[in-house]
Amino acid sequence: MKPVWLIATNFLREHRWPVLILFAWIALTALGAAGFGRQRVAPDDVVFYLQQQTIYICVVTAFLAADAIHNERKSRRILLVLSKAVSRGQYLLAIVTGASVMAAADALLFGLCGVWLTARAALPSSPVWSMTVMVLAGAVIAATVSLFFSTFLNPYFAAAVALSLFCAPAALHTPGHTWAEWWPGFALLVDVLRFQFHAGWKLDWMAVAVAGFESALFWALAAAVFRRRDVAVPVE
Amino acid sequence: MTGILDYSNVTKDYGPPWSRRRVRALDSFTLSLERGEIFGFLGPNGAGKTTAIHLALGFMRPSSGTGRLLGKPFGDAATRARVGFLAENAALYHRPAAKLLRFYGALNGLRPERLRLRCREVLQQVELEMEAHRNVARFSRGMQQRIGLAQALINDPELLILDEPTSALDPLARVTMRELLLEANRAGKTIFLSSHLLSEIELICHRVAILNKGRIIKVGNTAELLVSRDRCEIVARGVPANSFEQAQLGDGRVKFSVAAQQQRNALEKVWALGGEVISVNPAHRTLEEVFVELTNQGAGA
Repeated sequence: MKPVWLIATNFLREHRWPVLILFAWIALTALGAAGFGRQRVAPDDVVFYLQQQTIYICVVTAFLAADAIHNERKSRRILLVLSKAVSRGQYLLAIVTGASVMAAADALLFGLCGVWLTARAALPSSPVWSMTVMVLAGAVIAATVSLFFSTFLNPYFAAAVALSLFCAPAALHTPGHTWAEWWPGFALLVDVLRFQFHAGWKLDWMAVAVAGFESALFWALAAAVFRRRDVAVPVE
Repeated sequence: MTGILDYSNVTKDYGPPWSRRRVRALDSFTLSLERGEIFGFLGPNGAGKTTAIHLALGFMRPSSGTGRLLGKPFGDAATRARVGFLAENAALYHRPAAKLLRFYGALNGLRPERLRLRCREVLQQVELEMEAHRNVARFSRGMQQRIGLAQALINDPELLILDEPTSALDPLARVTMRELLLEANRAGKTIFLSSHLLSEIELICHRVAILNKGRIIKVGNTAELLVSRDRCEIVARGVPANSFEQAQLGDGRVKFSVAAQQQRNALEKVWALGGEVISVNPAHRTLEEVFVELTNQGAGA
């Protein structure tokens, strides 16, 4: 597993600027929501902040994961990496790991900012940590699904297809159906959009577990497709 | 197939089967490398050299045919731990040289202790030990190419696959690279060297293959390939130099070459002029002459 970790840390290093920009965005929007510390925060603003940041983190992670293979092929750096004892599956697992670590760091900062905002709004902080878990699960499945599509599509198109896929049951007006709960990312999305600070909302561990299982499934699918792809063909 | 690198009837097409722009990069390509040799791989641009190398490393899959790298089918990840590869105009991550080498070495499963030692050794080999902590982004093209070779050597590979390793180098750097390759070969490594630089290949390769339009048009021992069967070289003394076309005079001897079928007439002429024949040998050609002749034949065919 060492090659996976090495490529994952390399992925993080190569994407340090987008990560830092997202960190700054999460912190600055939290500051903005709190009127830069000058005012008491309205509960609705905290909910809006948490929902908005959840979506941003998932979207950014999806785009960064989708762009990973394309960037490496374009720069031809992938050739030296894949000339080593690294299988295609390990390579993709490394990208997913890197994106997950990035998402975990984002989720942690998101959680800390959320707790700070709840303190200023006199709200309980425990639901924020539940949302943090959902952010992480959502970002991981967003990364894996967009990575899968990026093995055979243009990266921006791949990310867009992946994100559209998550919303598909809503577009089909079938969110209440059982199959929609198993649809990649959809149950998480519904839970995030229903988030409230009252007792009726609680973390849906089933949705998190399904997202974890589906992430593994999409990684396996991505590896199966990527194994058959010519990585040396130049991309534009 | 018993070589260290074997291609058996490999064909590679680019583009989908229904496309009119489908290109055949390799056509029924069969080749076998023997352990311990330096094998030169020649061909004009677009001949399919890089495609053949990329197939061996599993970057792409053949359209048909099979191949084996160190006895395992192409694409086997574990086998690549025993191979070193340098791509044409190698793209490197922008990191300090030593860190970059440790990264590539660790990908091949080298343990930290061994990795530190190998890192020092290869940096010494490529004469960049003083630049170990400098970011490779600030290196010259030649230095980057040497770091590229260092990463290929970091795992002490059995087989080195080098795609145009000297293409961006100045003459001095080329000499250094050539010496490095000869040293690696003396250390027991098999080298598969693709290059446009025929003089380089001629100087260091035991065998060469010439590829044109995806097909091998000649493969053989370098020395034998340079021997001309059409002409012979005659050295004589006691005859005036102007008796033969393009004769060279030196040390009292006259050296000239004639077409093989004219050999008997030329020898009789030497004797008729009262001269003495010292030697008759097949004429030697440069690899460039062989290459141009064969690729032109291929183009005409």
